[in-house]
Amino acid sequence: MTFLRLLFNLAALLSMPIVLSGVIGRVKSWWSGRKGPPILQLAYDLARLVQKRSVYSTTTTPLFRIAPHVFLVTSLCAGAIAPLLGSRPIASFPFDFVWFAYVWALGRVAIMLAALDAGSSFEGMGAAREAVFAAALEPALFLVAGALSFSGGHRTLHEISALELHAGGQTVVWVLAVVALFIILQVETSRMPVDDPSTHLELTMVHEVMVLDHSGPDLAAIQLGTATKLFVGSSVVATLLNPWSGSGSLLCGVANLGLSLGVAVLLGTVESLVARFKIRAVPQYIAVALACGGVALLAAIWRGGGGK
Amino acid sequence: MTLLFLLSVPVLLVGAALALALRSNLARATATLVSQAAASAMVLTSLLPTLRGQAALEVVWPWPTPINSIAFRVDALGAFFLAWSLPMTTLGTLYAVGYLRPYFQRGRNGGWHFALLNMVCLSFVLIYSVQNALVYLLGWEIAAVAAWLLVIWDYGNQKIRFAGFNYLVSTHVGLFVLVAAFMLLHSETRSMDFAAFGKFLSHPSPLRGTIFLLLGVSFALKSAFFPFHTWLPRAHSAAPAHVSALMSGVIHKAGLFAFLRFTLLMGKPEEWMGWAVLCFGVLSAFFGILYTTTQRDLKRLLGYSSTENVGIAAIGFGIGYLGWAWGVPALAVLGFAGGLLHILNHALFKCLLFYAAGSVYRAAHTVDIERLGGLAKRLPVTAALFLLASLASAALPPLNGFVSEFMIYSALLAGKAPSDQANVLLIGFSAVLAFVGGVSALSTTRAFGLSFLGNARDTELHVGQDAPPSMWLPMVLHAFGVVALGLAPGLALRAVGPVLKLFPLRQASDGLASSVSPLTLAQPLLAALVVSVGAAAWFFSRHARRAPTWGCGYTAASPRMQYSGTSFSEQFVRLFAAFLPSVRREQLPDETFPRKTSHLSTHHFDAVERRMFEMLGQAEDVVAHASEKIPEQSRFAFAAGLVALVIIGALVLGGQSP
Repeated sequence: MTFLRLLFNLAALLSMPIVLSGVIGRVKSWWSGRKGPPILQLAYDLARLVQKRSVYSTTTTPLFRIAPHVFLVTSLCAGAIAPLLGSRPIASFPFDFVWFAYVWALGRVAIMLAALDAGSSFEGMGAAREAVFAAALEPALFLVAGALSFSGGHRTLHEISALELHAGGQTVVWVLAVVALFIILQVETSRMPVDDPSTHLELTMVHEVMVLDHSGPDLAAIQLGTATKLFVGSSVVATLLNPWSGSGSLLCGVANLGLSLGVAVLLGTVESLVARFKIRAVPQYIAVALACGGVALLAAIWRGGGGK
Repeated sequence: MTLLFLLSVPVLLVGAALALALRSNLARATATLVSQAAASAMVLTSLLPTLRGQAALEVVWPWPTPINSIAFRVDALGAFFLAWSLPMTTLGTLYAVGYLRPYFQRGRNGGWHFALLNMVCLSFVLIYSVQNALVYLLGWEIAAVAAWLLVIWDYGNQKIRFAGFNYLVSTHVGLFVLVAAFMLLHSETRSMDFAAFGKFLSHPSPLRGTIFLLLGVSFALKSAFFPFHTWLPRAHSAAPAHVSALMSGVIHKAGLFAFLRFTLLMGKPEEWMGWAVLCFGVLSAFFGILYTTTQRDLKRLLGYSSTENVGIAAIGFGIGYLGWAWGVPALAVLGFAGGLLHILNHALFKCLLFYAAGSVYRAAHTVDIERLGGLAKRLPVTAALFLLASLASAALPPLNGFVSEFMIYSALLAGKAPSDQANVLLIGFSAVLAFVGGVSALSTTRAFGLSFLGNARDTELHVGQDAPPSMWLPMVLHAFGVVALGLAPGLALRAVGPVLKLFPLRQASDGLASSVSPLTLAQPLLAALVVSVGAAAWFFSRHARRAPTWGCGYTAASPRMQYSGTSFSEQFVRLFAAFLPSVRREQLPDETFPRKTSHLSTHHFDAVERRMFEMLGQAEDVVAHASEKIPEQSRFAFAAGLVALVIIGALVLGGQSP
């Protein structure tokens, strides 16, 4: 049973990111009335990139060559902790969500340093934006995680996201947590309305502009890493929404994957219907997540007979 | 054993005397290094049982009245601090030999400097062992004056003299507050012995609260907590790199040590004390890290980061206090352990950061981020070590900073407080700590990325050689500590374990070990993955094709077009403009064909410092106005002085009631 759990989780971690980004692409093309790329487009892209050779800027140091792969490793390590199938993940320990947040931060720092290594003003700009958004986002993540943990009396990421609703206060916490996590997901994986992954204008990019100089297998590592983050983040939101979460049954796993796809559809829909915010307005958008987290924390006090 | 411990004092004094007496700088350095290494070895050997958690080292000297006796007692707490303070100071001295070589080549006498470094070691032996308030103040003062004289090594520069003077005044304001606290205690106990202080402090009384606040302010000034930090960035940017490192990493940890010493004397604290320490720590961490984002001087930036890190340690101690007051030992142990470990971790990575900044200064003769860039290609060893230490200081796994912060997080998020409101408040503080972590990532990326990566922003900057062995050896040893404590959190727990046994908290270390044990697996695993993947990526891309950075269609890119330190933090600073004021001097072009040359400069100043100087200026005005009212004739002034003297005399004599 343990072996099967590990196997299914690992399979999901390695395959679903590609499907999820394909689904977002499909949804976007559906909204704009196009046929759209195949669901597995990212896999084809990755295969193409891996066969190419990387070209490095003469300005860069070895750090530039290492960073993309460190980013991929951190995304996968964080994925090992996330409830991909709505129940026990590959590994979990008390307060693993702290580890989760900091491992993501490590990958982010690696990419930001690589961006500065190229010595281009555009990439420096992207790194600066990413750093500001991340600094504003971290407290939102901790507020939500803290509220969920306190409300349910649990300590690991998979347990707190499988919150069982017993009291009125918990419903408020649950709703606000879903909203806040959705915003966090949008910012972290650089989707609209925070960042436009398909724009052609460098001045308006955040994540894409940081990786302008990466090519070949390095670019593949970054794309796969970003897609993994997308799936991992969606799976946390899906676990919160999943009515069977925490049970560890086959139904729970399938429902969770389905809900992850649902989150991807929602992301794609938002991306198709909403214009990108001005960069200066993004902190205000993150402030919504912060406010949701703060209110969720306050609501966690009012939990009636639930919890512990 | 006690004899061996006390013998370290004459050894250090002889070393200092030799440093002054010998003829060549090499001989002076050797004498200092040998005496410090010998003293460290003697102290460590004598403290081995205490470090293992066995009995404390104790000796009492009779002394003429009014002191009566001087007690030395090194318990696990003192042993913990001594165990790393002395070796780190020795490493700092070794670094100084390489760092000061250009001065020595110009014929500068380093004897005083080396002797003062020995005196710093001596002050550690005194402060961390003595149980008598007078001798304690002596050690405190030796450290303060020695640090001041070490800071003004370049005394020819007026700015450096001012920074030194600023430090001297601040540290003595702290001393006055400490003396006030000791006088209050003496007036209650009629003794200068810490044991007697402890007897008085262990009973709750209004005076106990006052003394707690006085001691807190004094120790906060010593460790540069916000808003008592104003002396710190100036002193750190003025001092030679090894002095900044020792001050920030080692010497000013004495403030936190003293805080813990009096915590132990005081026994079970009251709840409000815990909240006070916690809020103070959060405030310090928040403002310390905010200020790092605007600095362009690398060493000033590191100075502000010290304020942040002592704040994080204080958050740990605050939870420790609360847990103790609430009777939740698991919480208290996690808090104290996290705080203690963070002190050690900070000493390791902050000294390394300052040493690396010093080697940048040696090579480039500036630490101005706006002028640097591309140093990683010229100074690869320094760059790698600076990167390692910056990652640790941003508390990123798998390095040591994360371990202590993880312990503090698990205490904040544990939900073990007796009331829901308190729990929610603690979770809110954990979000602030997360914000501090995020900004710290921004700040370290900015510091490392802009000075070491890309191209040099100032094309006229001449960059010399990388650090000589006497400079990189201490750096490598510190880096080893940063990695070891990160990968083996169990090692760190064993270091702080005996200290925790001093606190009367039962079932102490079980919960602690279980909360950290997942990291003993997770940290090395992540490290192994990152290192192996990184090495593979590095290996397979050795012969890759090279081309210029893509200029997004623009063909005449120049190093001046790179992102600068100011532009990197511009958006962040705009969000927190209320806390990060700046002055802007500008002469913008006004006509179509402007005739005047235009310029624009922004400068971020320390809001607390500016307000403090404003208030001092206002107070000076008040005094000046008052003194103008005194008539010019000297006999009036004389009479007024006489009356004041009589009143003061009467008060003093009246207070001496039998």
